[in-house]
Amino acid sequence: MREKKRTKRKQKVSRDWTKLKLVVCGALVLAILLTAVLAPYITPYDPYEQDLGKALLVPCREYLLGTDRYGRDMLSRVIMGARTSVFSAVFLVLIITVTGSMAGTVCGYHGGKLDTFLMRVSDVFLAFPGMVFAIAAASVLKGGLFGAVAALALISWPKYARIVRSQVMSIKNAPYIEAARLAGSGTGKIILKHMIPNIAGPVITTAVLDIGTMMMEIAGLSFLGLGAMPPAAEWGSMMSSGRSMLQTSPWVILAPGCAIFLTVMVFNLLGDTVRDLLDPRQRKKEELPL
Amino acid sequence: MRKKYLKRKAWGTLLALTLSAGLLSGCGSSGTESTGDASASGEKVFYYGDTTFNTENDETDVDPHNGYSGWACIRYGIGETLFRYSDSMELEPWLASGYENVDENTWRITLKDGIQFTSGRSLDAQAVKECLDHLVEVHARAKGDLKIKEITAEGMTLTITTSEPVPALMNYLADPYGCIIDMEAGITEDGNVSGTGPYTATEVNTDQGLTLVKNENYWDGTPKLDTIYVRTITDGDTLTMALQSGELDAAYGLPYASLPLFSEAPYTISSVETSRSFFAQMNYQTEALQDEKVREAIAMGIDKEGFTRVLLDGNGTAAAGPFPSSFTFGDDTVTAPAYDPDQARELLKEAGWTDTDGDGYVDKNGEDLTIRWLTYPSRQELPLLAESVQSTLGDIGIKVEVNSTANHLDVLQRGDWDIYASAFVCAPTGDPEYFFTTHCLDSSTHNRGGYHSDRLEELEAQMSTAFDVEKRASLATEMTQTILDDNAFIFASHLRMSIVSGEGVTGLEAHPCDYYEITADLDKN
Repeated sequence: MREKKRTKRKQKVSRDWTKLKLVVCGALVLAILLTAVLAPYITPYDPYEQDLGKALLVPCREYLLGTDRYGRDMLSRVIMGARTSVFSAVFLVLIITVTGSMAGTVCGYHGGKLDTFLMRVSDVFLAFPGMVFAIAAASVLKGGLFGAVAALALISWPKYARIVRSQVMSIKNAPYIEAARLAGSGTGKIILKHMIPNIAGPVITTAVLDIGTMMMEIAGLSFLGLGAMPPAAEWGSMMSSGRSMLQTSPWVILAPGCAIFLTVMVFNLLGDTVRDLLDPRQRKKEELPL
Repeated sequence: MRKKYLKRKAWGTLLALTLSAGLLSGCGSSGTESTGDASASGEKVFYYGDTTFNTENDETDVDPHNGYSGWACIRYGIGETLFRYSDSMELEPWLASGYENVDENTWRITLKDGIQFTSGRSLDAQAVKECLDHLVEVHARAKGDLKIKEITAEGMTLTITTSEPVPALMNYLADPYGCIIDMEAGITEDGNVSGTGPYTATEVNTDQGLTLVKNENYWDGTPKLDTIYVRTITDGDTLTMALQSGELDAAYGLPYASLPLFSEAPYTISSVETSRSFFAQMNYQTEALQDEKVREAIAMGIDKEGFTRVLLDGNGTAAAGPFPSSFTFGDDTVTAPAYDPDQARELLKEAGWTDTDGDGYVDKNGEDLTIRWLTYPSRQELPLLAESVQSTLGDIGIKVEVNSTANHLDVLQRGDWDIYASAFVCAPTGDPEYFFTTHCLDSSTHNRGGYHSDRLEELEAQMSTAFDVEKRASLATEMTQTILDDNAFIFASHLRMSIVSGEGVTGLEAHPCDYYEITADLDKN
């Protein structure tokens, strides 16, 4: 009895802790998103205006993160870069989640030749090392941020298709789906009303966790010159253009580097927390009496 | 339970810390340890880093008769020319002992005795004739410059007859394509040749580098190193770090931003002003650029001073024309449009380009004035010029799309460009005619934008027959002024070239012509 009480208390503490984490991470993500949205209004200087007279100033009161070799304010560029980096990552994850889920649902629900065909296609994409394939695709698409996003979308959708397909297959013969079918619901209604809400958990978790990864990959492609083009303020390309000054003017590369590090970490923490909350196995474990 | 959890967490943290420490220390240098020291067998081995021995620079091997590979041939001490340049860019004998200008079209060159190719063959007039015959047969640029009609060889005397007067013939023969190689030994499949220089290549790997060994029978002194490994490292930062870590003994082509890292002992920097210039040429196929006011506005919208002072870190001088002011026909004798954004805006307006849709860029018939600026990254500062221009031209309302790619030669051929910015040694032979014949005439191989000027063709006709040095200089000034008035070319900066040597390295000096680097004097102790 005593043991049971203690376990319950522990579960409560754990749940409260997860909720607190969710609030904190959520607030941080919100802050990053707000920064991105409001970027043009909150930058202290024009992030694109060159002033060669002020090139490579060390961080000071006037320029908190210093200036780059063209005399552009680093803080303004990092803030503006949030817009490019975060938005493109969120946009990319949105695309792959929607298209991947759609493909997965169709395959899982209908099966048959279409399923075989789409899954083999996804096998082909999964067989390549992701980043290598993205580099090849981005170069074929002639660079540019859009090219980078398209290249990453091309290689990332199969993951979602796989997850959704297996989820759909596992519940498509469940009694409540049978019941809905017997009650006369059409395919669309069954998928939208009964299936999607039941499989959303793992998809959302994967999506949130993917935002950080995608941000890194977009930055990676930009670093290689296959993503954002100069003078666009994008963290990856800012690091790339500043890398020759790592030893002489380190702030030029540290500022966007830290921005990537912190943002990716915050999104990953949020992803972890969401998984803790949504993962049914985790939840079940807590509910089971020990 | 809780204890166990904490324990696991502590281990996790420790592991993470160890990993990050490992990652960070991996980036550090390995100290002063050098791989270039004398090896166990007492051999002297030298590692040289370079950015230009690659396809991107049209230096695919060391065969002087192939594109710009002659630069590699002469730079790495494999080949030598009949004449060479002194430190003040005056012509002096090298493989030749002298020459005589018999008449306008005939030149008699006497060769030095006792010189051998690395193949073992002795250098004589017949060998030189075979080499030059092959050169003009396969090398379009050389053929156009030299205009050789006939060569006769007699012992150590070579007589060259040209089809028309070529006053700068001896200068042209000192161009890297004029490296004398043994045609009997031939050119191997990988582009290797037998020259007369202090070193000979044993392995040639395009885009990667080459291996050189000492020429035991060198005629002008004893080479001091046994083996030299030349490494092509196109990325300037990698090159910087390779030199810092001791992987290289010396390097050429470091980014200017890295030079301050080598300003103190044990490193030494040898710098010299060269006629290598950063310049942009206009594509006359582009409709907007056919308007001379637009071209002038672009010339006025580029801040050359700022670029040279800040982005080149003072490693050069702002340019007006192709030649630095140290030449008698240099920048002091010509005028180019100065940086004047207000006047540039005015010119655009006169040409009918105004910002009607309020997007910050001028437009005409609903289309923004957009310039595709093509350049390449192996000259580290070219992309910087591009981004600087993007900003200053953006200020006057011209949208610049930068394409900085190692693949630039293909893009040039496809014609997907409006302005092409490159770095070029404009007077490698000390004579002005070379730049115009390579870049500005109807017959020029590098006249990529299709520029044509009647006046310039007329002046070139005079230049090609002028033997008097002063006359040539005044013609060069007039020709430069013509292309500047047409704004067909915009010259941004003349560069200073620097070679950085590591500890114990001697005899590596930068030369104003840019292509004498490895000589018999090079040593490492």
